[in-house]
Amino acid sequence: MEKKIGVYICTGCGIGDALDIEALSKVAAGEYKVDICKTNNFLCGKEGVELIKKDIEAEGVNTVVIAGCSSRVNYDVFNFGSDKIVERVNLREQVIWCHPANDEDTQMLAEDNLRMGLAKQKNMNLPEPYLVEDMSKAILVVGGGLTGLTAALDAARAGYKTVLVEKEAELGGYAGKMYKQVPLKPPFTELEENCIPGLIKAVQDAGVKIYTSATIEKTAGAPGMFNVTIKQNDSTVQERVGAIVLATGAKPYDPEKLAHLGYGKYENVITQAALEEMAAAGKLEAGKVAFIQCAGSRDQEHLPYCSAACCIESMKQALYIKEKNPEASVYVYYKDIRANGQYEHFYKKAQQEGIIFIKADVTDISEEDGKLTIEADDHTMGTKSIADEFDLVVLANGMVPTAALGEVVQLNEPAEEEAAAASDEPKVELPPVIKANLLNLDYRQGPELPPLKYGFPDSHYICFPYETRRTGIYAAGVVRAPMDMLSAVEDATGAALKAIQCVEATAKGEAVHPRSGDLSYPEFNMTRCTQCKRCTEECPFGAINEDEKANPLPNPTRCRRCGTCMGACPERIISFKNYSVPMIGNMVKAIEVPEELEEKPRILVFACENDAIPALDMAGINRLQYNPWVRIIPVRCLGSLNLVWVNDAMAKGFDGVLLMGCKHGDDYQCHFIKGSELAEYRLSKVSETLDRLGLESERVRAITVSIMDYDKIPEILDKFAEDLEELGPNPMKDFQ
Amino acid sequence: MEQKNTLTEPVKYDLSFAREIYSLENGYYIKQCMQCGMCAVACSTREIMDYSPRQLFNLIKLGKKEEVLSANTFWYCTSCCTCKARCPRGVPLVDVMHDLKKYAIEQGYDQYPQAAFYKAFWAEVAGRGKVFEGGVTARYYLIRGLDEVKKALAMKDVGMNMLKHKRLPLLPPKKVRGLGDLKKIIHKAQELQRKEARA
Repeated sequence: MEKKIGVYICTGCGIGDALDIEALSKVAAGEYKVDICKTNNFLCGKEGVELIKKDIEAEGVNTVVIAGCSSRVNYDVFNFGSDKIVERVNLREQVIWCHPANDEDTQMLAEDNLRMGLAKQKNMNLPEPYLVEDMSKAILVVGGGLTGLTAALDAARAGYKTVLVEKEAELGGYAGKMYKQVPLKPPFTELEENCIPGLIKAVQDAGVKIYTSATIEKTAGAPGMFNVTIKQNDSTVQERVGAIVLATGAKPYDPEKLAHLGYGKYENVITQAALEEMAAAGKLEAGKVAFIQCAGSRDQEHLPYCSAACCIESMKQALYIKEKNPEASVYVYYKDIRANGQYEHFYKKAQQEGIIFIKADVTDISEEDGKLTIEADDHTMGTKSIADEFDLVVLANGMVPTAALGEVVQLNEPAEEEAAAASDEPKVELPPVIKANLLNLDYRQGPELPPLKYGFPDSHYICFPYETRRTGIYAAGVVRAPMDMLSAVEDATGAALKAIQCVEATAKGEAVHPRSGDLSYPEFNMTRCTQCKRCTEECPFGAINEDEKANPLPNPTRCRRCGTCMGACPERIISFKNYSVPMIGNMVKAIEVPEELEEKPRILVFACENDAIPALDMAGINRLQYNPWVRIIPVRCLGSLNLVWVNDAMAKGFDGVLLMGCKHGDDYQCHFIKGSELAEYRLSKVSETLDRLGLESERVRAITVSIMDYDKIPEILDKFAEDLEELGPNPMKDFQ
Repeated sequence: MEQKNTLTEPVKYDLSFAREIYSLENGYYIKQCMQCGMCAVACSTREIMDYSPRQLFNLIKLGKKEEVLSANTFWYCTSCCTCKARCPRGVPLVDVMHDLKKYAIEQGYDQYPQAAFYKAFWAEVAGRGKVFEGGVTARYYLIRGLDEVKKALAMKDVGMNMLKHKRLPLLPPKKVRGLGDLKKIIHKAQELQRKEARA
């Protein structure tokens, strides 16, 4: 595409009063010789937009550079269609709002920002969407319990071909075997008849293709083109689907491990599931029953987490015991009652019905003549308590996600690890994968979804509900996190909607999440690939497979466009149409670094677009002032940081480089899971190089900021500038 | 705050006492208590109570009849309603406390001076339709016994001062008009209460 560039400088919002616009125009028209350079005092207004549109029509402008406000605002106003490149240069939030007006340094900053924008558009091309051949929009639901059935029904009713795979011979799962169920509708106080039979019928009527007694032997491919091998009895069937909802549920925690609560020792110590069975079979006869909550859950030696459903399940069971025998006394020993959301009403109802709740730790269970005695520490009164004559003791034994049941494997082969240890290059450790035999993914990074915590294949719920770390595969229900039935139903609908969103976006060649709508995707210049495997190992989403010669095999529809592969590649062969290593490199080179004598240090900031850039913008919006030496380059994710940029910056004479990324670790906030972690990791390599060159490694630093840290931005940047001043100017400054 | 805790022996959960309490007019609400402690922090006389309301409710659940009925908790309740207003479970604590006072008196746990005062006050109101301070005082000390009457003499200066300021009439006021009707109303109400308690 022949570029015809139009630069439009907005002088509104005080930009015209604070900056020398003429000098700024000279940068565009003089230095960069752009075709058109105009100013307007209200560019986002009707007239301003018309001005640009007229130039597009009359002059054939196809690359629009707008210098004004942040790209986070007015993106809808400055949208001139997908066939135009639009680049935004931030003069407002990151220049005039956080630096003094009519100041030499502020002017230099504005000019550098414009230079960066102009350098950036040079390397930008219009993205061409990646379109899948033989695209399938079908949705596969794995697991036929409450969540799976709901998800399948929702997907089918939304008009998508839906396939349901259930391991057991009958649909229904754990909830299907229940005698009665907890209330799923207001007023949340009445026991309900089991909804599963009705749900199964609805799913059958909705035309869902159902495979029972079936498991998934292999899941190959990528969103829009998954080839799933389903093994039913002894035959196998192939299904091509677009997205997958994983709703394999959970298993009750193994009660054999609860011997300290008398399980296995006394016949009348049973589990919630066993009580459910007894009730369904009509064999429930008990005059005095005790429930022991958190049997295994919230116990560091068993399940460290809260299983979320057991409190209300116990209440339900207690209520139907009372329903059958109003004279029965029912005791619930609990740590804390966790009746989430509307289930607080259910808890109150249970109390009103005369179920006795005792906040206590059970210390001993013994039996005499078939009657059980419970000793406990009663926390409300601070005393020991004894209760006897129990006919039944029911353990609320919590749940373990099916994804956590299996052999834990570390995918780094030991030989490889030794080699890595031998070389001085640090190597990224792959997260362990639990072989749970659910999806059997044909992915280079392991056969199942990577777990987040305790084996749940969850992702950051606040930011990415239902998203797993494998694009196009959405976990829902108790396999994702412990939850009650109402939440599971909600989860199922959410995941079904996510799956639909995925197939629709994939059909258009767009990224699904979190860069929804992004048409670009990484392209590999394979002739220069050295088979180092960094991209295939570091991709947080397992998007890149590997052939037997270790060549990367990218799957663009699995990709979330973070650019982690681009940052990882030592040969720099991976690039996007509108985001690449040379592009950022040229932006770095476009910045004018004054000579040492001028005493104007320069700090380069690579800031993550997701959290750090908004924080910087917010600092501007709040008019927080910081030093004018910083030059900010937004990156898609710090994971896309290629070390060559740091080298470029140091060679160019920058006094320091700061990486601003998101929090990583167990409660990470990175949109791409471990981008900032990888960046810090790569940085550990660069510091050695710096030391070797005689440059202090303190000059390059990585920090984490969250969007709410905007008030700390001035402190962070000024402190860094202070530290750099102590180190003195970059000795490479005058060599360029 | 030092918590009074007389429970040294392991407790047993004996529901027979709790069931009796639950059958009181507002006793049913005690079941709804979730032991959050909001009543205790809201209570202005919590410091001098043997047990906070929440602990008292728990003792009921434990079947500690003796501890519950001889506790001063409900006698020190000033009916300020703060706990009732704040209880997240909607337990009308003040009404529950009233029920407990009545129940305690019925069960013979009337050793607290407040119990005597309640009795005296009620006898006065029911008999006259109005309160006569002299009458309440006399009745109160008589109920409390001879020893108390002697103690009452120590209060004579206060009484004299009140007389001087016309705060203590010497003669009883006139009975209300239609005292017979009032008695009928009270009688009817008591009958209703008995009926409901049986139901």
